[in-house]
Amino acid sequence: MNRISEDIIKEEISGGSRRSFLNISILISSAVVLGGIIYPVLKFLFPTATTVGMGEIETFSMSINEIPVGSAKIVRYKNRPAIVIRLKEQEIYALSAICTHLGCIVKWQEDKKELFCPCHAGRFDLYGNVLGGPPPKPLSVYKAVVEEDRILIKEV
Amino acid sequence: MNELRLGPILIRNRLLIALYNFVESRLGIKEIFDLEIFYKLAPSHLGIFSCFGGITFFLFILQIITGTLLLVYYVPTTAHAYDSVVHITNNIPFGWLIRGFHHWGANLMIITVFIHMGKIYFHGIYKNPRELNWITGMVLLMTTLSFSFTGYLLPWTQLSYWATVVGTEIPSAVPVIGDYIKFLLRGGTDISQVTLTRFFAVHIMVLPAAIVIFIGMHILMIRRQGISGPL
Repeated sequence: MNRISEDIIKEEISGGSRRSFLNISILISSAVVLGGIIYPVLKFLFPTATTVGMGEIETFSMSINEIPVGSAKIVRYKNRPAIVIRLKEQEIYALSAICTHLGCIVKWQEDKKELFCPCHAGRFDLYGNVLGGPPPKPLSVYKAVVEEDRILIKEV
Repeated sequence: MNELRLGPILIRNRLLIALYNFVESRLGIKEIFDLEIFYKLAPSHLGIFSCFGGITFFLFILQIITGTLLLVYYVPTTAHAYDSVVHITNNIPFGWLIRGFHHWGANLMIITVFIHMGKIYFHGIYKNPRELNWITGMVLLMTTLSFSFTGYLLPWTQLSYWATVVGTEIPSAVPVIGDYIKFLLRGGTDISQVTLTRFFAVHIMVLPAAIVIFIGMHILMIRRQGISGPL
């Protein structure tokens, strides 16, 4: 091998490694810049506890006079809708108001003593059991107690 | 086929070539890349002042992105507009950054657009054959200023409220129709929720649509005519 071809080979090798070094450098710096744009944007869009005020309240209390005997009321318990039913003077039931089928809000049917979901006609009894319609699971049941003139709702 | 020439672009990546062939065999897009507007030859006499149109365009793209992000949290009601802007700035992660970009981008855009106009004016570039481009440029200037004026009200601060009072008062000096213009701009006799709602609608819907159309015309014309010669 003569001197000239050796030089050409050397130049090709060094040129090749310089090219790949530059390519990798461009790739890394582009990734850093893109990441620096995408990260703040995702953080900006993603809800956090402070931005939506999701502080959970463990117990819920309301005045018993808010619900007449035989009727029901939708309340906010742990940031989700719950239904509180006053069947008799001191007999209170509390359940999740979110239908287990597709998440609509159930309503109280006083004449049938049932909870009815208006979206796809799911039916539940006062213990959350499915009586008919498409719901796959029973409603979650909460513990409702009356203390003096207030209704307290707790986890079972 | 190891490389593909599309107008002035040379593609060597095999995946991109395969993707191109997929589209080409179905839509026949080769002719589009042969159009003369894709061949941009930058003349050697260009200096820093030739860049301000492009800088303005870059800032505009930034305004679209940051504006869309702000739209996610902004509430256009008189009761909540200010609170939502404070919420974005203080509580939302990087909200201060996104709002800062929108605020400073807007201010810089006014500066760069005037430098761009000054360059075009003092170098006489607006002359034949570029009169139409000057006219679209004037429309873009008015659109940009309208963006500033409508966007200024949206945080619903004392400053923005009274600036809008004064700004909508100005056209009432026009003879005969002045008071009607004021009434139309305010959507009533005073600055109210109606004013905020229509300024919001104009700021996020009407002006973006108008500016995109005119920027498209502006750029297509300069590509068609080429960049003007040296002074």
